[in-house]
Amino acid sequence: MSPVLGIAGYVLREALSRKFILAFIVGITLVLTVVALSLRIEVVDGALAASRLFGEELRTSIRSVDVALRPVYRAAAFLVFYGGILFGIVACSDFAPSLMSPGRIEHLLALPVQRWQLLTGTFLGVMTLALGGTLYGTTGLVLIFGVKAGYWTAGPFIAGLLACVGFAAVYAVMLTTATLVRSAALCAAAGFVFLVGGVIAGYRQKLMPFFEEGIGRNAFSAVTLVLPRLSALAMAGGDIAASAPLEVRSLGLLLLGVLVFGFGALALGFWRFDGKDY
Amino acid sequence: MSASSRNRPPPGSSTFATVNSQAPAIEVRGLRKTYHRAFRKGGSEALRGMDLTVPHGSAFGLIGPNGAGKTTFIKSILGIVQPTEGTVRVLGGTPEDPRIRARIGYLPERLHLPGTWTAPAFLATVARLKGLPADRAMPQRLLERVGLGDAVGRRIGGYSKGMRQRLGLAAALVGEPALLVLDEPTDGIDPMGRMEVRRILQEEVQRGTTLFLNSHLLAETERVCDRVAILAGGRVVREGRLEDLARGGARWLVRFAPGASAEALAEAGFHRGGAEGQYHVEAEDPAALNVALDRARAAGALMVELRRDGADLESVLMGTVEAAA
Amino acid sequence: MGNRGRRRVWLVVAAMLFVVAALLMFTGQGEEPVMETPRVEFPRRMRAPERERAERRRTHVPAVPMDAGTPEPARPRDPLLAALPRGEGKTAVVIEANALRHSPIGELLLDCLMRDGGKRLDEFRKLSGVDPLQDLDRLVITDEGLLLSGNFGSAKFQELMGERVSMDYGEGARVYEPGDMTVTRPDGTTARGRSEAAVATWNNQLLVMGSSPDEVKAVVDRVEGRGPNEPPAISEGSTYGEMYGVLSVEHLARLLPPDQAALAQRIRDVAQHVELHVDASGDVAMVADVRGKNGEEVTDLGKTLGAALSVARIKAQAEGQKDLAQLLDFARVQPDGASFKLELAVPLDAIQQRLAFCKEERSTAEAAQH
Repeated sequence: MSPVLGIAGYVLREALSRKFILAFIVGITLVLTVVALSLRIEVVDGALAASRLFGEELRTSIRSVDVALRPVYRAAAFLVFYGGILFGIVACSDFAPSLMSPGRIEHLLALPVQRWQLLTGTFLGVMTLALGGTLYGTTGLVLIFGVKAGYWTAGPFIAGLLACVGFAAVYAVMLTTATLVRSAALCAAAGFVFLVGGVIAGYRQKLMPFFEEGIGRNAFSAVTLVLPRLSALAMAGGDIAASAPLEVRSLGLLLLGVLVFGFGALALGFWRFDGKDY
Repeated sequence: MSASSRNRPPPGSSTFATVNSQAPAIEVRGLRKTYHRAFRKGGSEALRGMDLTVPHGSAFGLIGPNGAGKTTFIKSILGIVQPTEGTVRVLGGTPEDPRIRARIGYLPERLHLPGTWTAPAFLATVARLKGLPADRAMPQRLLERVGLGDAVGRRIGGYSKGMRQRLGLAAALVGEPALLVLDEPTDGIDPMGRMEVRRILQEEVQRGTTLFLNSHLLAETERVCDRVAILAGGRVVREGRLEDLARGGARWLVRFAPGASAEALAEAGFHRGGAEGQYHVEAEDPAALNVALDRARAAGALMVELRRDGADLESVLMGTVEAAA
Repeated sequence: MGNRGRRRVWLVVAAMLFVVAALLMFTGQGEEPVMETPRVEFPRRMRAPERERAERRRTHVPAVPMDAGTPEPARPRDPLLAALPRGEGKTAVVIEANALRHSPIGELLLDCLMRDGGKRLDEFRKLSGVDPLQDLDRLVITDEGLLLSGNFGSAKFQELMGERVSMDYGEGARVYEPGDMTVTRPDGTTARGRSEAAVATWNNQLLVMGSSPDEVKAVVDRVEGRGPNEPPAISEGSTYGEMYGVLSVEHLARLLPPDQAALAQRIRDVAQHVELHVDASGDVAMVADVRGKNGEEVTDLGKTLGAALSVARIKAQAEGQKDLAQLLDFARVQPDGASFKLELAVPLDAIQQRLAFCKEERSTAEAAQH
């Protein structure tokens, strides 16, 4: 276990020295500042009269705070989920390929670290970064909404944690791609493809009628059965944020399923990495 | 890993030939490596059946032309590359075993160093990844040993090529490995620095560390190694002790003081050499050599210099490779 | 190669993990289609069937001498609309009995009506000659009285009200003054009663009930085109929904509970025109459009109403009155310039639950009959 932590620490140290973590923090702080300054919510006697974004009034009907804020929180949860994963794909795509560059990978492989430990350590390091960024961003959002509307909810926070699990699955794919092709762009592309695939997989029940009976529908059904159902996670996050009843049967199982998919992708990466010549 | 267990007599001494009871540091039998390209039949054969034994505690040099497979071989004994065929045993085990790799120090040909770190941080990380207990004094000690003592605070990105190479050597020395595998260790270092590196390597060998060297600088290889293998076309074409390899047969080079009679010397078996006063003589053993010398001296010639007229490593290499091709 | 064997283990592990993941996600998401939360259709504008219905009712062309040169005011060609009180500030609520009868809530109400197995309904039919389930089209409640429209061809008006003083009026109306009524029961006995209402019938189409003969005569005047030129309280374009109409501000204020007296007063001050629409084709949804002259005050009133609703909702939630809370969940106030719309809905399930007893009683009564 210790070599895994050692590699994770190596990755984190690398991120720190490349000013990556600093850029992360600055970026998230900027987004939070923009949201804090541009969103204005007028609360009247517990009912929401008008909310303003960038000075323009949002046409909302007058309801009590929690009911009226539901769409806002739901939207925030979606933004956190998808925005977070997209940001992670773009920002973290370079870690694995740069680790595998010549001169570096030979040095690492000659160390008493097993190959699967190398990949796992990289995965752990990047996930630590993602978790840290998520915690920071969502805590900021919760604070902003709480201070502005006087209504405190852990909705964005939970959506952020769900996004982390979703990103774990996506990044596992990116890492495995790096063992196949040492290219940051391709890794990011693979991550993006699986994000889209995950969104589609979440809606598979609704999309299946659009396919002709037979090979097409069966193929779609088979493929989306295995893909991580990211949109279902996003909907669950939105539901939780909006205090609406969950549409999925069991969020815990769904989360576990997405995580196990990530592990499966990692195992695939182990298989590929173990026999690769550098 | 006490020093006593790695104690061995210096190379060149007569006790070198004593039976070494420890297992060879590297033992390779029938090693083949074919790089397959995707969607193509066949591939390029980098190693075509290598047999090599590196005795424990020796300073072994690997030389050969470009593309001979030297880097592939080094990667094979470290587990970076998987052999297609053959067996590889390193330090009594396989390179896939992390415990074996923990006892190896490796300096790759193009070592990538993280530009934004400081040297002590890098060495500390290497020590951590090697599973060594934390030792705060170790980085400073090692850096001073390789001559980077005053560049400790600077970021690696600002190092010169020579400094980076020394840092790589320091990284290879972390944890006092039993086997040092160095790919072009003096590449980019100035002659003064090369002397220092040579000194460090000799120190290590004296401690009992096995040294495995791959260098284009044949002069360096000559100075450091006691055993040499010549790799050409994926095979070992010659291997053995440096003296044996470099020995040009029974030829000696003698220089006489001016005034020696060339005819008299020719009678004694001395042929004119290249420079003024230089003569060659063939003698299989010391007795024949001394007989010839006595005859020369009897003829009135005064000997001022005597040495073996061995070919240097370069000509050995050329000769071998041409023969192999 | 031993290494290859070891490697293959990872491949097998990966495959197994993918299978497990698929299973977990399949179970976790659940494959049944999710029950949609009931979407309530609020009546906000006229729909095609309602438009057709309004056109079908334009049966009457009042014979009024046309003065050359004066522009002809648009007179409603639907007799019932013509009969409505004219001008602002009046109350007139139309209940589309026929449409309501065929709606889900109508069925429920019918169950309640027929709780006794339909005996009283039969009695009424025999007595009056009118089958309220078939012949009644619309029922209008105004501040003057009641209006019924439908097919009263076989109504036994003469028999029921023959004793009263009556006169012919206008072109097709008969006005009955308040007086005694004799009712013959099926078992042969008669009962006498006194009715204080004046009744007018018009063309076997309309039945007008008012407090005095003059009032009903005025109504008949309006139908026949002799009324004031003001437009009727409900225009043709507002005849959508199963129930629709205008409420006078006073009536609206009176609808509020006594603890909201301040709000009631504000409504009296600010609101001028309150239009009501109820859609009962599925869930019961009501839209009340409140207008006033001062846009800001109206918006303010809307905000206050919204706040009052949310307070009531929170109170209902806190006190555990789930039904009320659910009802108020669908309540909202939508500002719209110088007016605001108050939307309220009652899901059909809630009504069904409440009136389930009617259905039970009806089936037992009917079973007892046979």
